[in-house]
Amino acid sequence: MRAKPSFEPGALIAEGAEGERTAFAHGAAAAHGTPARIPAGWHRFRFPQSLYRYAALLATLAFIAFAIDRLNIDLERLPGVLGRIAVTLGQRYFPPNIEHVTHFDYLHSVLETMEMSYLATVLGIALAIPLAWLASFNQTPSPRIGYTLARLFIMACRSVHEMIWTILLVAVLGFGMLPGTLALMLFCIGFAGKLFTEAIEAIRPGPVEAIRATGGNRAQVFVFAVLPQVRVAWTGISIYTWDVVFRAATVVGFFGAGGMGWYLRESVQRIASHDVAAILLSIIIVVVAAELFSAWLRRHVAAAIA
Amino acid sequence: MKGRAVDIRAAAIAAGRRRGRALRLLAYLAIFGAVLWSVQVIMIADTDWARLAASSAGKTLKSFLEFDYRLLPELVDPTIDTALMATLATLAGLLLALPVAWLGAANISPLGRSSYVVGRFLMTVSRSVHEIVWGLIFVSAVGLGALAGVLAMGVRSVGFISKIIAEAIEDVQPGPIEAIRAVGGTRLQVLFYGILPQIVPVVLGTMIFEWDINIRRSTIMGLVGAGGLGLVFFRQMAMLNYGGVATVILAVLCLIILGEIVSYYARKAVI
Amino acid sequence: MTVALEVRNLRAGYAGREILKGVSFQVEADDFFAIIGPSGAGKSTLIRCVNRLVEPTGGQVLFHGVDLLSLDQARLREARRNIGMIFQEFNLIERLSVMDNVLTGRLGYTGTLRSLMRMFTAEDISQALALLDRVGLGEYVDKRADRLSGGQRQRVGIARALIQNPRLLLVDEPTSSLDPKISREVMALIREIAREFHVPVLCNIHDVELATEFCTHVIGLQDGVKKFEGRPGELDAQALQEIYSMEVL
Repeated sequence: MRAKPSFEPGALIAEGAEGERTAFAHGAAAAHGTPARIPAGWHRFRFPQSLYRYAALLATLAFIAFAIDRLNIDLERLPGVLGRIAVTLGQRYFPPNIEHVTHFDYLHSVLETMEMSYLATVLGIALAIPLAWLASFNQTPSPRIGYTLARLFIMACRSVHEMIWTILLVAVLGFGMLPGTLALMLFCIGFAGKLFTEAIEAIRPGPVEAIRATGGNRAQVFVFAVLPQVRVAWTGISIYTWDVVFRAATVVGFFGAGGMGWYLRESVQRIASHDVAAILLSIIIVVVAAELFSAWLRRHVAAAIA
Repeated sequence: MKGRAVDIRAAAIAAGRRRGRALRLLAYLAIFGAVLWSVQVIMIADTDWARLAASSAGKTLKSFLEFDYRLLPELVDPTIDTALMATLATLAGLLLALPVAWLGAANISPLGRSSYVVGRFLMTVSRSVHEIVWGLIFVSAVGLGALAGVLAMGVRSVGFISKIIAEAIEDVQPGPIEAIRAVGGTRLQVLFYGILPQIVPVVLGTMIFEWDINIRRSTIMGLVGAGGLGLVFFRQMAMLNYGGVATVILAVLCLIILGEIVSYYARKAVI
Repeated sequence: MTVALEVRNLRAGYAGREILKGVSFQVEADDFFAIIGPSGAGKSTLIRCVNRLVEPTGGQVLFHGVDLLSLDQARLREARRNIGMIFQEFNLIERLSVMDNVLTGRLGYTGTLRSLMRMFTAEDISQALALLDRVGLGEYVDKRADRLSGGQRQRVGIARALIQNPRLLLVDEPTSSLDPKISREVMALIREIAREFHVPVLCNIHDVELATEFCTHVIGLQDGVKKFEGRPGELDAQALQEIYSMEVL
């Protein structure tokens, strides 16, 4: 039996490949013997292996202790955190001021949130498609420059959190829906671009060969050999991306980018807890509704175009 | 004679294809119309282009590109803090995700249908609430600081980790479970000897994936005073030192590239 | 007799490994060439070098007197539309209908914009219909390609190659994904059609029996080198021994 691989960086070093191999050889040697009964000194893990396991466990615990110490985390605040949340929610936030979220302006902001997420997703996907084409190692028309740039761009979009994008774009463009939409679009490019690329890289090469053999050009190869193979996956990814973008769109306003989040920020700043509670509740409701809708749409669209 | 019959069929097929094209075009037009409407709302009604043109947007954008290299030595410690926070948050997420996955896996959910629904509900809530909102909730419970950030990211991670684990549990081979039931094992023994060993690779893979995401998230946790690069980011933003902001983002990129390299090798080691 | 295809001293390889080590032969107007040989001999590479799906590293491929290896991408695509290709795994676009699959054979003749809208001319459609009737799939026009059996898929593949109005057919192991009975039917269909349309054929085939039965010429390839060329009747035990010596050893 091999030591369970563990994720901790320290543990990875402790269970280096060489150590594992010796441990494995050890186990194999034991298996080749014919123990008719359990040997007197039998343990589940023999010497080197048991050491690694304990070392890994110890390293993990030591790491956690070190991290908690370094980050100045005050563990005394942790016990009863659920209770305190319950008390806070019950005393400060309850009852939610439902009137605040049935107000026309607020309902209009829900519509704005949808518009932002829709435009960001459509634009993001329209840009993600050519980028994914460039960034797929098997279909890229420009294996050096285009491939590298597209990969880098998709990665940069993904690496920076959507709220960081929002803050930056608000700093440049000022408050409003435009910076929020652009931030969500960048997020969408990073999110969908990566998944689109993976879908292209998984296609069967045969149809591509067949279209090339008929004298088709790159665009025709894409439309007739690549697109039919990734269409179903891409449609599902696109709908799912919209769902994720919508979830982010509900809070981009917190940093001044329009939509429901704007009202969240405003009522947090007023310390109007009952309004905050109502807004949080409404966000959860629309997000869950969006998730159910996206799941329903994915199921039906997948069935329709499969 | 035969040629004519083929031509008639071909004409019918061509007509059908034209109808199909028209329908597709209509669908595209509907999508495009909705785009136009959104453009009208967002880019025309909501955006004051005249003010934007008169503003210093171009200058602001340029100042982002003037990296503030003096900040670099001060970024080493926060970078380590960010990596630590992401790791702690992922571990916390796993700790919380295991019981949720246990509830939400249809084949082993302890009280059957009712606890299954509870498990799935917890997963949905965790994923539906954005980390910003979780951060605000935890700040009110434990105050500003790294703990609030770690808890917010951890709770937000639960949804994804537990969903994947629950699906892995639903997919385990029933053989080993039966074997342990057959020798008289308790529910807990089934869990530890029959199921846990089978899902370890999935758990580790998911953690590596979520760790990557948590590094990204931790940059935004500066909002709840969680330290690390996120705090530096918000400070530089408040000082309007855009060159410094860009440098912080560069540091985040470096950390994420490093994380991607580490997770690439970690994934290889796990599989 | 006009020479349709002349291959001179063709070389190919990648990553420092030579797969074709200078192969030469000539295909004339009504020839049906079979390329036989053990797996790994370079049969598939040879066929793909002719239309440059695999780039050769040296030699010449003269197609009606034009060296294909000297053409730029645009001219190469023009040349490719005159060369039909039939594949081992059929390589149909599975989510598209039989009709759309056959029409992809016209892509080389269709402008990019028109093809993006899947607009093919009425003549193309009626030719596709006639060809589908010819290969016995007249009833399956609207079926999706992945609903067909293996033999039916290969017939679609044949129709797709024929709608190019090819002046050469490249056929890559047309039968190895099919059962023996269907294999014979498909080979017979390819031979009939080649005669009907006066197209020379260059066909990879690992089944020696099928090769000798349906082809007019046989080339034996081993380890990238031509070991045999002649009529099927000349392919005796000794010649086979030479071609397949590696496997016998």
